[in-house]
Amino acid sequence: MTDILDVHELHKSFRRGHRIVRANDGLSLLVGQGQVMGVLGHNGAGKTTLAHQIVGLLRPDRGSIRLAGVDAIAHPELARQLTSVQAQANVPITGLTPLRAIQLVGRIRGGKPASVRTRSHELVEALDLGPWAEVPAEKISGGIARLTAYAMCAVVPGQLVILDEPTNDVDPVRRRLLWEQIRELAKKGAGVLLVTHNVREAEGVVDRLVILDHGQVIAEGTPSELVSRHAAGFKLEVDTAPHAQLSWPQRYPRTRRDASRSFLTVPAEDAAPAVQWAAEHLARGSIRRYELSPTSLEDVYVDMVSNENEQEKAA
Amino acid sequence: MSTTQTLTKPPEYWQLHDPGLFLEPPSRWRQSGLLMQWQLRRNAQMAPMYITVQLLLAIATVLGYGLLIGEPDRVASLYLTTGGPTISLVMVGLVMTPQWVAQARTEGSLAWMRTLPVPRPLFLVADLAVWTMMALPGLVVGLLVGAARFHVGLSISWPLIPGVLLVALTSSAIGYAIANLFAPSLAQVLSQVFVFVIMLFTPISFPASRMPDWAEQIHHWLPFEPMAQVVRSGLASADFTTPGRAWAVLSGWCLVSVAAAAWALGRRQ
Repeated sequence: MTDILDVHELHKSFRRGHRIVRANDGLSLLVGQGQVMGVLGHNGAGKTTLAHQIVGLLRPDRGSIRLAGVDAIAHPELARQLTSVQAQANVPITGLTPLRAIQLVGRIRGGKPASVRTRSHELVEALDLGPWAEVPAEKISGGIARLTAYAMCAVVPGQLVILDEPTNDVDPVRRRLLWEQIRELAKKGAGVLLVTHNVREAEGVVDRLVILDHGQVIAEGTPSELVSRHAAGFKLEVDTAPHAQLSWPQRYPRTRRDASRSFLTVPAEDAAPAVQWAAEHLARGSIRRYELSPTSLEDVYVDMVSNENEQEKAA
Repeated sequence: MSTTQTLTKPPEYWQLHDPGLFLEPPSRWRQSGLLMQWQLRRNAQMAPMYITVQLLLAIATVLGYGLLIGEPDRVASLYLTTGGPTISLVMVGLVMTPQWVAQARTEGSLAWMRTLPVPRPLFLVADLAVWTMMALPGLVVGLLVGAARFHVGLSISWPLIPGVLLVALTSSAIGYAIANLFAPSLAQVLSQVFVFVIMLFTPISFPASRMPDWAEQIHHWLPFEPMAQVVRSGLASADFTTPGRAWAVLSGWCLVSVAAAAWALGRRQ
C-alpha cells in the first residue's frame, strides 16, 4: 500500500502569554491509500494544528510532512491540491444554497463542470440532502450545513481527505449515510484522516487510529489491536448499594469510579468467577446492578487519556 | 509539470465519470471568476445596502462639503466633484475590506477558504473586483451629482483607467494587509479611524496647501494625495495634470502594499 501521508517527528509550539504550548510534540503517523485513519484526542490535543500544517496554513517548527511523496512543507500550494479539508467549524455559506456551494467549491478545486454537476448530485442523493439542496443556506439546520461542508470537501476530493468532526450535529440516520460515504471515499483510493471525538462510531469506520494526547501519539493500531493490547477481556460495571461495605476482588483493577458506579477490568479467562462474585453480592444486596461487557475502544481511550493526565499530575 | 499532474489527480474513482478527464488544467482566470462568484453570491443579500451606503457616501461627500464651503469657485468645485469618487475607492479598500476580512476571520470561513488550492493573490484580486463593483454605482452617481450641483464640465481622459485601478488596488492591498496582520477587533477599530482621517484630514477634496505645513509634508509621502491627483486629472484633464512624482509615489505604494498583502495572505505562522 502506498503512503499518501507521512508525518514524521512533527513539532509545533505556540506562545500563549508567558506559556509555551506544545501543540504537536514529536508527532508521527502514516496514512495509506484507501485507508481511513482515525485521530482521537481531547480538545487541545493537537489535531487541528496537525491539519493546518498539512495544508500549509501553519509552519512546523521541526519535522517533515510528505504527501504522496511530495514535501508538503516546501510546497504548500501542491499540498493544497493534494488535500481537501472539512474544517471543524461550519463554513458559513449564507447567500448560497447547499448545491450551489458544493458545485462552486468543486469548480474552484479544478473539477470539470459536467463532472462536478454529476458528482454533486450524487453526493446530495447519497447524503439524503435532496429536500435541502436548493434551499437558501440561512434556512438550513446545523446538521444539514455539516453535511454540506462534507460534500464541499468530497466533491473533488484530494488524494488525502481531512475530516474534522464530520458528524457533529448530524442526525443519526444521515450520520450512517455519511459514514458510508467516508468508507466509499477510501474504497475508491483516497486516504482519509478522520479527526473525531466520537470514539464509538469511529470504531466501526476506521482502519487504523492514533490517540493523541498533548501533541503526542500515545497509541496506534487497528481498533481491535488497541483494545486487546491495552486491556484484553471484559469490563464489569457495578452499581453499589448506598452505604454498602464491599470487599472488592484485588486481582481486578478498578479503573474508574464515580459516586456509586465502579468499573473492573476483568481478563477474558476470569469472566465466570467475576460474574459469580457479582451475583453473590447482588444476592446479598450490596450491589444493585452489574453488567459484563467486552472492553470497548471508548473504554481504552478514556483510560489511556486519563492515565496520562494522572501521571502528569503526579509528576 | 507532468509529475505534478500525476500526483495531483484525484483518486481513481473520480475519473470513472469522465475517464481521465475529471480535472481541468488550472486557470488563474477561471479561479478568480469562481472566487468572485462565491463572494458576490455570499454578499448578494447585503449588496443593496452596501451599494446604497456607497451612493449616499459619494453624494454626501460632494454636497456636504459644498455646504461647508458655500459657493465654491471652479477649482474648488472640481476638487469636490472629483474627490468624491476617490474617497469612495479608498473607503472600499481601507474600510470595507478590513471589515469584511475581519468578519470572515472571526466566523472561521477565511481559514477554510485558504485550504483551497488557489494561489493566495487571487483572494485579493477577487475581493478587490467584488468590492469595486459595489462601489461603482456610488462613484458614477457622485460624479454626476457633483457636476450638476457645481455646474462644472468634466474632461475625461484615458489615464483615468490606470489611475482608478491603481487607487483601488493600492487601498485594497493596504486594507488586506491590515486585516490579515492585526487581530480582527483591532482591524475593525483601525478601519473606523481611517473613515474619519480620510474624510477630514486628507487632501482629497481640497488642495494640500490648505493643511498645516507638517501635515502637507506627511501627505507628500502618503498615497492619498497622489490618489486624488490621478483621479482628478483623469476626470478634469483640461484643468489638472498629474505630476510625475504622484504616479511614482502611488506606484511605489502599490508595489509595497500588494507585496505586503501577498505576504500576509501566504504567511504561515
